[in-house]
Amino acid sequence: MDSVVITITSGKGGVGKTTTTANIGTALALMGKKVVIADADIGLRNLDIVLGLENRIVYDSVDFVEGRCKLRQALIRDKRAGELYLLPAAQTRDKTAINPQQMIAMINELRDEFHYILIDSPAGIEQGFQVAVAPADRVLVVTNPEVSSVRDADRVIGLSEALEKGPAMLIINRINSARVRKKDMLSVEDITEILGSQVIGVVPEDEEILSSTNRGQPVVLNSKGSAAQAYRDIARRIVGENVPLTMPSNGSFWQKLFGRA
Amino acid sequence: MASFREFFFGKKSAEDAKSRLQFVLIHDRAEISPGLFEEIRNDIIMAISNRLNIDPSYISINMDEEAGERRLLVDVPLKNARRPTATRSTADTRR
Repeated sequence: MDSVVITITSGKGGVGKTTTTANIGTALALMGKKVVIADADIGLRNLDIVLGLENRIVYDSVDFVEGRCKLRQALIRDKRAGELYLLPAAQTRDKTAINPQQMIAMINELRDEFHYILIDSPAGIEQGFQVAVAPADRVLVVTNPEVSSVRDADRVIGLSEALEKGPAMLIINRINSARVRKKDMLSVEDITEILGSQVIGVVPEDEEILSSTNRGQPVVLNSKGSAAQAYRDIARRIVGENVPLTMPSNGSFWQKLFGRA
Repeated sequence: MASFREFFFGKKSAEDAKSRLQFVLIHDRAEISPGLFEEIRNDIIMAISNRLNIDPSYISINMDEEAGERRLLVDVPLKNARRPTATRSTADTRR
């Protein structure tokens, strides 16, 4: 099968990598693709709870690497979204439990059977990041419109280029178009100019995200909200559809004057 | 200062974010910290002022990046093109 391995990373923690991975993976599965989302954050796993699958884990990726189970046994099917599977990380181990070669071998085993394998990278640029990026065909970097996150994004973009992963693409998460319009927040244009990278999606700040993660239900499953739509658009761009990027406009003179949303 | 502009137009902090990021990323990408940069700057000033009559306060040394190419730009206005042959220390006293 012609499979694509995509690692989602960010450098900085807390920018929304896990939520982004869960939603894009779910959206791809809802489009009829066979998808695995793999949690590479060993010791701090969260993809399971964001997806609402935390009670179903028996084996994890470290169990497979250390020979205690077959890879199939570690995969947990999410029945809400067709052919969607979670490959959980071990929670009681650390980032040294899997090395880059083992990661590549494990992911290669999935390539025969799945269209898309998304890897949720841990924060940071140390071994955990290196392992998460090792098997990637493409790298997506999640950033918030905020200085520390943009700076860290620049670092991981440079590192994934050094690892010959091709040009990383950006997901700008939690943009607030009203504040962008008031020039009190970096715009999509600002961020692309600063980082010199292409954008594959812009996800607005949306209160729905917290309630959906509270319930373990990715927003793309049932919401018509703006963040859910943004994730679906990213999934469509990943499969090669031409979905125009809707940049938050900077508003008219009068909007600027009165700071209207 | 909650200026007139801020009161009517908001804080516009995005401009600050953008320029600060652009500055810091030039240093990050070149792996030259602002501290090392300052040392290089002082070395250059020292090297030139040992030989030429310059006013160090007019020297500008900047890192710049355009189309992925990084460069160090040094601009040294010359006060007097003649070498201060006998008095190498003149430049030092001006600092």
